[in-house]
Amino acid sequence: MKIVTANRLSDGRVIYAGAGNQPVEQLAQASVLDEATAEIVLADVAGRPDVFVNPYLFDVQDRTPSGRDRLKERIRSAGPTVGHSVVGGVG
Amino acid sequence: MYRYDEFDHALVRERVEEFSDQVARRASGALTEDEFKPLRLMNGVYLQLHAYMLRVAIPYGVMSSRQMRRLGHIARTYDKGYGHFTTRCNIQYNWPALTDLPAILSDLADVEMHAIQTSGNCIRNTTTDVFAGAADDEIEDPRPWCEIIRQWSTIHPEFSFLPRKFKIAVIGAGKDRAAIRTHDVGLQIVKGEDGETAFRVFVGGGQGRLPHIGQEIASAVPAADLLAYLTAILRAWNLLGRRDNIHKARIKILVASLSIEAFREEVDKHYATLRHEDLRVPEDEAERIKAYFAPPPFEDLPKVSGPFDRAMLADPDFARFARNNVRRHRQPGYASLVVSLKPVGGVPGDITADQMDVVADLAERYSFDELRAAYEQNLVLPHVKLDDVPTVWRALREAGLATANADLATDVIACPGLDYCSLANARSIPVAQALSRRLADLDYQERLGPVRINMSGCINACGHHHVGHIGVLGVDRKGEEYYQITVGGSPDEQAALGDIVGKSLPADEVAPAIQRTLDRYLKIRAEGERFIDTVRRVGPDPFRDAIYETLDATA
Repeated sequence: MKIVTANRLSDGRVIYAGAGNQPVEQLAQASVLDEATAEIVLADVAGRPDVFVNPYLFDVQDRTPSGRDRLKERIRSAGPTVGHSVVGGVG
Repeated sequence: MYRYDEFDHALVRERVEEFSDQVARRASGALTEDEFKPLRLMNGVYLQLHAYMLRVAIPYGVMSSRQMRRLGHIARTYDKGYGHFTTRCNIQYNWPALTDLPAILSDLADVEMHAIQTSGNCIRNTTTDVFAGAADDEIEDPRPWCEIIRQWSTIHPEFSFLPRKFKIAVIGAGKDRAAIRTHDVGLQIVKGEDGETAFRVFVGGGQGRLPHIGQEIASAVPAADLLAYLTAILRAWNLLGRRDNIHKARIKILVASLSIEAFREEVDKHYATLRHEDLRVPEDEAERIKAYFAPPPFEDLPKVSGPFDRAMLADPDFARFARNNVRRHRQPGYASLVVSLKPVGGVPGDITADQMDVVADLAERYSFDELRAAYEQNLVLPHVKLDDVPTVWRALREAGLATANADLATDVIACPGLDYCSLANARSIPVAQALSRRLADLDYQERLGPVRINMSGCINACGHHHVGHIGVLGVDRKGEEYYQITVGGSPDEQAALGDIVGKSLPADEVAPAIQRTLDRYLKIRAEGERFIDTVRRVGPDPFRDAIYETLDATA
């Protein structure tokens, strides 16, 4: 399964494609998509460059990043692991 | 300190206006990301994992208190209350909004700062010895020559679209405190046969995927011909350098493939046509610029200081700070102070807005209004009276900035790594933090003496791991973070690349392995040997054995 992610144009924050392909900030709110649907959603958000910058897909299992870039996606979803400035952390 | 003239002011203001318009057009959708990306990169704006990142230029690492306060204001107003000093002596902000960038650049322009040429395939911020103008072993202050290079290189029409980025470093002493042989061009001020200022030139150094130590291309270029010689080097590379492969587009690859002799011939051809033309540095202009870097009005003071000596006797913590973070000064009765940005468990190079204000106040009051950014990701107060050092130390301690570890094992250089950087394969800051906590005992660190430990989260080597006495490189192994260890690198006048000691380690094994390496050094060192001396004497094998000796039960 896959999730569509990008950075938000206005402030660069991590966003995901959620219900109705609208941008959402939390991984928990992202739409979990099969391969074919994910490609369609990716194409849709790529057509909205005023919101979604550099959109791409990553693999998830039970809504948890699972592919080769799983650590990067965990850090993107939870913030830096270095102990200051942002909420959360993936340690 | 150099002050902008009307041309500098106009150029920076025009750039702010131009970029403000570009940001507005991007925000409105009139520009696509592909169209906008090269424009933002020309203004130091990256898009990283979590946000935009703005890299602000600090030419040759020199700042006034006013500029430092403005950096703090930006951190507080537009970011999350802190900034990050880098190995190129720049400061980076990790969280600015796109729409705030014009205001930030305008605020910077108010204090003669900008973000031009902090990214892209151009001549980047020139760096130098952090103790320039203060070191007691200096032949000549390199800062005026850095400023001349800045003026020559800023938005240079021939060199704004180079094959790739180009970095220059300058030193004015025999001791290399700017790692010049790891730069595309390294310049060392020497005295020519006639006793006049000249430059020994190294070319083709660099780290990253294919690291090289710079080679000497000229032994004594006359100062007046410096810009002609630099132009000749850049022109030769611009004409011959590869553009078909990003990994082979650096000058180090061209120099290595041609040979230094053949590259020298190419450079000399251009130099012959350039050296007697308009690029000759006018003596009166060089003197005008040097006047901005004239020594501050030092007092005539004795070499020793009663308050300093009494504080040494009275307070062991101060004595430790004095041993490790206070450097000799060319002027009797003065010292340079290293302000460590490496507290135990901290993020190397990070400083809060409030701490920036403290350091700015101390510089204004005790260091002739001057601050330096060191490539080791620390700050320096360059000219402090010995009498005042105890007072300054107490203020630094109050602000959490008095960690007495300059040049010791926890003075770790580390890139942002995968916590922030979109290029990284692995994290580097948490590994540095773990090491910092493990080696926190300053008695142990002092017993070790100077050790340079460098960490990078990818092969691009922003943490200079190739030239760390101990280097740590994060690599991706099927989606897991592993770390390759090197031993024996050195960034100084005996510059060398470290040797890879063996298979990479998982993250939690790095700090224990490094401690075993340091413990092994304590066992085998000869009298008076620094860590790097021992490595050079015995080679990497004893340290390889220590690294892979055992898994650490306390890790």
